[in-house]
Amino acid sequence: MGIRFNEVSHKYSSFSNVNTSAIYQVSLAIDAKDEFIALVGHTGSGKTTLAKHMNALIFPTAGNVEIFGKTITKKRNKDIKYNEIRQKVGLVFQFPEYQLFEETVLKDVMFGPLNFHIDKKEAERLAIDAIKLVGLDESYLNRNPYNLSGGEKKRASIAGILAMDPEILVLDEPTSGLDPAGKRVLMELFLDIYKTTNKTIIIITHDMDLVYEYFSRVVVMNEGKLVYDGTPEKLFKEHDLSKNHLDYPNTVKVLSHLNKTLNLNLNIYQKTAIDAIKEIEKAGKL
Amino acid sequence: MNGIIIGQYVPGDGFFYKVDPRSKIAAIFFLMIATFLLRDIYQVLGALIITLGLLAIGKISLIKVLKGLKPIFILLIFTFVFQILINRQGNILVDTNLSFTIFNILLVIIAFVIWRFLAKYKKYNFLLLLAFLIGSILIFINVNFDFAYNYQLTSFNLQIYEKGIEMSIFVVLRLLIIITLSTILTLTTKPTDLTQGLESLLSPLKKVGFNSEDFALIISISLRYIPTIFDEANKIMQAQASRGADFSEGKLKDKLKQVISLLIPMFIIAFMRSEELADAMESRNFVPGKARTRIHILNYSYRDVLVTAFTVIFFVVALLFRLNVLGY
Repeated sequence: MGIRFNEVSHKYSSFSNVNTSAIYQVSLAIDAKDEFIALVGHTGSGKTTLAKHMNALIFPTAGNVEIFGKTITKKRNKDIKYNEIRQKVGLVFQFPEYQLFEETVLKDVMFGPLNFHIDKKEAERLAIDAIKLVGLDESYLNRNPYNLSGGEKKRASIAGILAMDPEILVLDEPTSGLDPAGKRVLMELFLDIYKTTNKTIIIITHDMDLVYEYFSRVVVMNEGKLVYDGTPEKLFKEHDLSKNHLDYPNTVKVLSHLNKTLNLNLNIYQKTAIDAIKEIEKAGKL
Repeated sequence: MNGIIIGQYVPGDGFFYKVDPRSKIAAIFFLMIATFLLRDIYQVLGALIITLGLLAIGKISLIKVLKGLKPIFILLIFTFVFQILINRQGNILVDTNLSFTIFNILLVIIAFVIWRFLAKYKKYNFLLLLAFLIGSILIFINVNFDFAYNYQLTSFNLQIYEKGIEMSIFVVLRLLIIITLSTILTLTTKPTDLTQGLESLLSPLKKVGFNSEDFALIISISLRYIPTIFDEANKIMQAQASRGADFSEGKLKDKLKQVISLLIPMFIIAFMRSEELADAMESRNFVPGKARTRIHILNYSYRDVLVTAFTVIFFVVALLFRLNVLGY
């Protein structure tokens, strides 16, 4: 078992008197291998808080999180080496600006491995591999990370985590702020990493099109509570997404609209636009 | 990093909440000067009673003010002890010899160990500390084995004079008054009102080239962004911790490196933010130095007359005491 949440609640200490939990009694189990999970929910639903629990950056205020056999509770435990957990579960933050600080991309990507006492040469090799893996070529190695474009910064920060060779990879909105083509390239990259290494990858996203196209398991958060855990298809079929402040994928929206207006009987559950077109062609209407 | 509160403003509706910030700031300023004009322990005691009366009028709970005293508690104790030891005027009250021998140092160490063991009773923390300090002084005074005389390391002649005690109480009372006064101001005035009041009070300085509006704007923007910057520092720390740079673990050399990994992103983000803020202000047609209208317009009321009258009376009386016109 990789990560298991046992009725985890987390309340941020706030100055106001509003008593809201960022997450409330969340129970969730994630395998150490072979999972490709989308974590979706409206802004403020507790996705990022949940992600931060996954590598013990914050501790639950109630319940506990088991990460690779180590139980994380409210109190800091001296017997647990938190750095080891963070090496096993790599978390990429939403904004790369929070992470990049060295004067070159290579040095920045090496920062993680060096913190885990990996030999310098080995760290450099890992870093170069990671940088190439995220699609930046060698010309980037000696560039200043702050002079890169938004998408390139994002890639550099992802490389910084990949270089640590984590067993589970958690990405907080890796595709936000990217152009549509860049989004797809990055998603293909994650899918590729997943397929070649069988690492568990958890991706926080808003984009339901991407969720439907790429993921086999989707976890939905709403107002701090876990409301759904299963396949995307079942989610779209059986749940009212508007209740969770979410949107249906475009394929489902278009096909169900066609069904309604043209009185057709199309199968609306098509993962990609191409699948949707094929379905419409099958009905002979194009 | 959590729990940092900038400004102590607590919403309420007492008398002082409705007083114009300008008269409040000016009043506190002159009352503080007046407090320093007082030279006698009885006068200061009277002033303290009047200040506590102000708390009662403003319906401000004493507990809140005492909480404000917490950070400077050490300073108060230090001034108190220092005054007692330094001042050598008036009748001598205590004259003993503190002798430091190996034996009574050992006793004090034992007392220290017992005190640390008892430290888990957090409720009585302060009493225990007091008991330990007094106990160890008593040990140094009284425990004087004759046979231990040869083992004496050093000795200290403790003399406490009447005037010393008086002065130490005087100084501490004066500090208490000043802190209570400033707490009244910060508890009952919003930071924005405070800067607006300050701006208005400093506006005559425009004639000598000091732009009080810009000054007030700088203060209010910095106050507003302090929590944001802390929030950001927190996020950066977490981002670096997830790359193995845990700020609470590791050697000193590692920690230094980790501080750099915090500072650089913080500076860059702060600069980015300030640039964006400047753009946003400019796009809403903000021009530095140009006259602007306000949402909240400060208004004087009868309360301000009362406050000002009180301040003038207090100040004049203090001045008369100082000049020995009033006396006893």
